[in-house]
Amino acid sequence: MKPRIVAQFDQVRKVYRSGIWPRRAVQALRGVSLSVPAGTVFGVLGPNRAGKTTLVKILLSVCRATSGRVLRFGIPIRDRHTLRRVGYVHESQAFPTYLTAHSLLEYYGALSAVPRAEVRRRAGELLDYVGLSDRLNEPIGGFSKGMLQRLALAQALINDPELLVLDEPTEGMDLFARHLLHGLILERKQRGKTAILVSHSLSDVEQLCDHAVVLRSGEVAFAGALDDLTHQGQDDEESALPLEDALQPLYAGATA
Amino acid sequence: MRLPNTLSTILWLVRDTFRQSLASGIFWILLVVSALSIGVCLSAGVRGEAQLAYPGENPEFLPRQDRDAKDPEKAKKDKVPVVSGELTLGFGSLSVPLARDARSAVHCLQLFLAGGVADTLGLLLTLVWTAGFLPGFLDRRNISVLLAKPAPRWCLLMGKYIGVLAFVLLNSVIFVGGTWLALGVRTGVWNASYLLCVPILLLHFAIFFSFSLLLAVCTRSTVVCVFGSILFWFLCWGMNYGRHAVVTAAQIAPEAAFSSQLTWLANVGYWVLPKPADLSMVLFNALDAHGYFSQAFDVAAVRQAGYFSLSLSILTSLVFTGYLLIASARQFATTDY
Repeated sequence: MKPRIVAQFDQVRKVYRSGIWPRRAVQALRGVSLSVPAGTVFGVLGPNRAGKTTLVKILLSVCRATSGRVLRFGIPIRDRHTLRRVGYVHESQAFPTYLTAHSLLEYYGALSAVPRAEVRRRAGELLDYVGLSDRLNEPIGGFSKGMLQRLALAQALINDPELLVLDEPTEGMDLFARHLLHGLILERKQRGKTAILVSHSLSDVEQLCDHAVVLRSGEVAFAGALDDLTHQGQDDEESALPLEDALQPLYAGATA
Repeated sequence: MRLPNTLSTILWLVRDTFRQSLASGIFWILLVVSALSIGVCLSAGVRGEAQLAYPGENPEFLPRQDRDAKDPEKAKKDKVPVVSGELTLGFGSLSVPLARDARSAVHCLQLFLAGGVADTLGLLLTLVWTAGFLPGFLDRRNISVLLAKPAPRWCLLMGKYIGVLAFVLLNSVIFVGGTWLALGVRTGVWNASYLLCVPILLLHFAIFFSFSLLLAVCTRSTVVCVFGSILFWFLCWGMNYGRHAVVTAAQIAPEAAFSSQLTWLANVGYWVLPKPADLSMVLFNALDAHGYFSQAFDVAAVRQAGYFSLSLSILTSLVFTGYLLIASARQFATTDY
């Protein structure tokens, strides 16, 4: 049986244009094609400016592809309904500082079209889960970066999404939050839910991901099971390269 | 997106805007301005109760300085009322002799509050103070998460726009309602037409804030929104007055008539841009201000020259606003964050 595909990119190109005159064009993605199977933890890897964040932003309808086709749960991304089944943790959150942790979850939950009673119930549970239940009525302007990252995680989970997209989620996280995140992703995976993890932290990727795409200068340098990546060029099926070593030839020559 | 979801999204954004206004202190600043104005009205009083007719209704009353008014017996015998009252402010610490009767004095004070405090100074300051609301909302790190929600982009933007309008509406109601109530309680004069200020002020603000919205979507810069809004406000007033001056110049002094090219340009600018001076005239008419203040331009002369239609003026101002809102929504829908 073919695995269900949660996200599919087909020859996706993205060109950013900047400046007024001369108008500069920067190619962020150059014909990217890949599929994210359901129930996996899918790593998006690559050096800086490889197009990782652009890729997930296109999937989330935050950016528009210049050309190509993108499907979310098998439906073209212009249909925003499917975003109800998605949660997103941005790489550097800037939540409105006047909100409290609880009011933020209520607000973002409502925008995710989650019924109010459910939002209230889940908000309490999630704040408890991320260790913020004792700060739920404090303005988040006074939160540390680590606390904000945990709140961002709670926000992304308010609609119990089928697909969780995490863009550099562990930046600024302490050990407790990191453990929490790992436990959460693995627990969700057991329930058949999917996560896309954009990360520079290879230890996170090694511990969590089973599939990955490696982008280099906007092109796919590798896409497939993580095991295939670490076993590339190895005659012996038992011996696997450390991820860092496996990535080195793929990163080589990338423009930083 | 279904209608209940759309409405729910807009309501949440309205709520968020109120929270933002509370946190930024703007709500409190406007509340203090309203409280001060209400305080002034509560300290007001009127002495002398001669009920004089409005101009045009019954011209037979005497100003207090009139020679015949010095002889009260004669005035009484002729049944001609004489102006005698005074308006007091600061609980009697300041008194202003009335030119007419108590009702007119209160009316005059209301005109000052509506035209001077609310429609000119208040509107401009509110435009400046609320100009930062949208750039903050559209911050890339904040909006990216909101854009990954199922709510359509236009709905997010319009929700915020409506939120700011709701905030201005609430403050207008507090200011106008409060001063109306305070003056009514203190003087016994209940001029209901004063309450028409609320929708007119809101309309006026909605027109100018649509320009601020477009600037916010295009630049995400508070500085650009603040200065852009102020410049646009002055440009529209200038264009409105300038055009009326240009088209009536030939009537007033034929030798001072402007060239046909300049007249054409003034007309194009006038019909394209919102017309704040004309909108103020709606307020002027609603408050029946003709007996107290003269307008900055000669409406009769513009009308006589065949260059004036109030309804068309308002309609084109609304069309301009609608165009800006659509352009903002379109720009927002196609911007990468």
